[in-house]
Amino acid sequence: MKAYKKEVQFTIWMTAAFILVGNVGLIFSIFPVEAMLFGFPVMYIVPILMGWFGVFLLTLIAGKIGNRIDDEIERENETIGHADEAKEV
Amino acid sequence: MEQSWQLDNPILGLIVVGATFVLFYIVGFISNRQSKSAKELYVGGSNVGAITNGLAMAATYMSLATFLGITALILQLQVPFIMLWIQLILAIPLITIIYGTSLRRMGAFSPTHFIRDRYGTTASIIAALFMILVSIMYALGQMIGIAITFETLLGIPYITGLFIFGILIVGYITIGGMAGATNNAAIQMVIIALMFIVPLAAIMKAIGASGWYFPPLLYSDMVPAMMDALPSFFDYQFSPKWYFSIIPALTIGALGLPHLAMRVYTASSLKSARSAMVWFAFILGLVFSATYAMGFVGVFATTTQGVTISDGDADKLTIILNMVYNPEWVTALVIAGAISAGLSTLSGNLLAIGALISQDIISTLKPNISQRLNLRIGFIAIFAGGIASILLAINPPAFLVVSILWAFGLAGVTNAPLIIVGVWWKEANKFGAIAASVVAGAIYIIVSPFVFPSIVLTGHAVTDGMGLSGAMLAVPISFILLIVVSYITNRMPALSGKLTKQADIELIERIHGWKDIKAYRYNSTIGAGITVVVSAAVAIWALMPWGM
Repeated sequence: MKAYKKEVQFTIWMTAAFILVGNVGLIFSIFPVEAMLFGFPVMYIVPILMGWFGVFLLTLIAGKIGNRIDDEIERENETIGHADEAKEV
Repeated sequence: MEQSWQLDNPILGLIVVGATFVLFYIVGFISNRQSKSAKELYVGGSNVGAITNGLAMAATYMSLATFLGITALILQLQVPFIMLWIQLILAIPLITIIYGTSLRRMGAFSPTHFIRDRYGTTASIIAALFMILVSIMYALGQMIGIAITFETLLGIPYITGLFIFGILIVGYITIGGMAGATNNAAIQMVIIALMFIVPLAAIMKAIGASGWYFPPLLYSDMVPAMMDALPSFFDYQFSPKWYFSIIPALTIGALGLPHLAMRVYTASSLKSARSAMVWFAFILGLVFSATYAMGFVGVFATTTQGVTISDGDADKLTIILNMVYNPEWVTALVIAGAISAGLSTLSGNLLAIGALISQDIISTLKPNISQRLNLRIGFIAIFAGGIASILLAINPPAFLVVSILWAFGLAGVTNAPLIIVGVWWKEANKFGAIAASVVAGAIYIIVSPFVFPSIVLTGHAVTDGMGLSGAMLAVPISFILLIVVSYITNRMPALSGKLTKQADIELIERIHGWKDIKAYRYNSTIGAGITVVVSAAVAIWALMPWGM
C-alpha cells in the first residue's frame, strides 16, 4: 500500500510541478510584474530560466524519486512473495 | 528592392551538406548491421545508453523549425510565442514520469502497441490511423523545410531538391533503423547545438553585444535599445486564457506524439530512461534559450541595425543573420545544422510510421505472419511513409510550424488521454477509448480552420491554426468521454462479455512493476470524477468568447 500511494502521489505532484515551471508565462499573464532582473524584464527572463534550469532540476529530483519508488515496489513484491504465493485479489 | 538570400558559392554549401550525409550513412550502416528483429528496428534492441538517448531525444524533438520556423514566429508574434515554446521542454520528462517507464516495462514498440493490449484491436487501429496522420503531417513539414532550404539557399529547384534529397534521406533512415537513427540523432544534436550557438555568438559579437561568449542568456545589454526601438516586444499581448490553452494543446499534445515516446522505450533500463530525461532537459534548454536569443537578435537587427527581411523570408531569419554577419563558410555549416535538425526529426517520424503500419495495423490484423516478413513489412512501411511525405510535399501547404503544432493537438486529443487514463485507471475500457478518440478527434478537426474555415472558436488565425483553441475544447472532451463511457459500459451486463476486465487489470499491475494484483490499486473513482469535473470546466471555458 505504501509504495502504491507514493507512486500515485509522486506522479500527480511531479506532473503539477513540471507544468507549473514550464508555464510561468501563464502565472505572469495573471499577475503581471514590472521589475527587471539581470537586465531583462522579469516577465521575460524568469519563464526562460525556469523553463531551462527549473525543469532540469525537477528531472534530477524526478529521476531520483522514481528510482527509489521502483525499489520500494520491488521490495513490497518480495515480501508478498514470502508471505504467500497468491496472485489473486 | 527585395533582396534574394542565396549563397554566392552554393558548391561550398553542397560539400558541407554532402559530407554530413556521408557521415550519417556510415553511422546508420554500422549501427544497424545487427537489426534482425522488429525490436531492434524500432527500439534499438532497448539497450541505448542515457547520454546517447538524451541527446537523441532532444534531436528528435528539435525539428527543422528550430532553424526555420520558430525565429520567424518570434519575429511575428514576439514574446507570446517564446512563452508558448518554453513549455515544449516538458514533453520527455512528462512522458517518462506519467507513462514512459510503464510502457518501457511492458516492452511496447509504440504508444499504440499499449493501446492494442489495453483496449483491443479496433481502438488501436483507430489510434494508429490518427497517429499515422500526425506523423505524416510532421514528416511533411520536415520534408518541405529541407527542400526549401536547398531551393532558396543553394539554388536547387524545389522539386529536384525534394526528390533527390528526400530519397537520399528516406534511404538512410530505412538502412539505419532505430539503432542507426539513435546514434545519428545523438551526433545530429551535437551538430545542431554547435551550428546554432557558435554562429550566434559571432553574430552577437558583430552587433556589439558584450555577452557574445554565452549567447543563450547574455544579451541583456541589447534590451534598452530594443525597448526604445520596439517598446511592445516584451508585451504579453494575450489574455491568461490564451496562455492556459497552451497546456491542453501542446503540453498534453506532446504526450501523444509517438516518435517522442518511442525514444523512452529505447532505454537500456528504467534508470537509464530517467537519466536520459535529465540530459534531454539540459541540452534542450540550452538550444531553446539560444533560439529565443536568435529571435531577439533578429528583431533587434531588423529594428535597430537596418537589416530588412521581407515577410516571405521571415522563415530564413537564422540563415539571413548568418549571411549578413558571418563569412559564407559559416552559413554553409548553419545550413548543414538545419538539415541535420530536419533529418533527426524525420527519421523519428518515419520509424514511428513504420512501427504503426507494421506492428500496430498489419500484425494486429494478421498476428501469425513470420518475424522475417514482419521486419520486411516494417522496412517497406518506413520507405513508403517517406515517399508519401515526398509526394505530399510536391504541392506544399503554407505555414510550416503552425501545421506541425496543430498535429500536436491532434495527438493530444486522440492518443494522450487513452494512454494516460489507460495506464492509471483500470476501469477505462475499449468503448470509452473508441468514443474518446473518434468523437473528440472529429470535434478537433471540425473546429480547425483547415476543414470548415467558418467554424472556429476564436477567429484569431494563428491561435486557431496552431490548434490552441481546438485542443482546449477537444482534449477535455476526450478525457470526459473516455471516463464516462467506460464507467457506464462497465456497469451494463449486456456488454460484459465483450470486455476483458481481468486481462486489463493484470496488464496495469504488471506495467507498474507489481507481481500481484490488488483491487485498490489504480481504481480511484474519486480521481476519475475530479478529472471529469475539471475537464468539463475547461471545455466550457473554451466555448466562452475569447475576446481576440
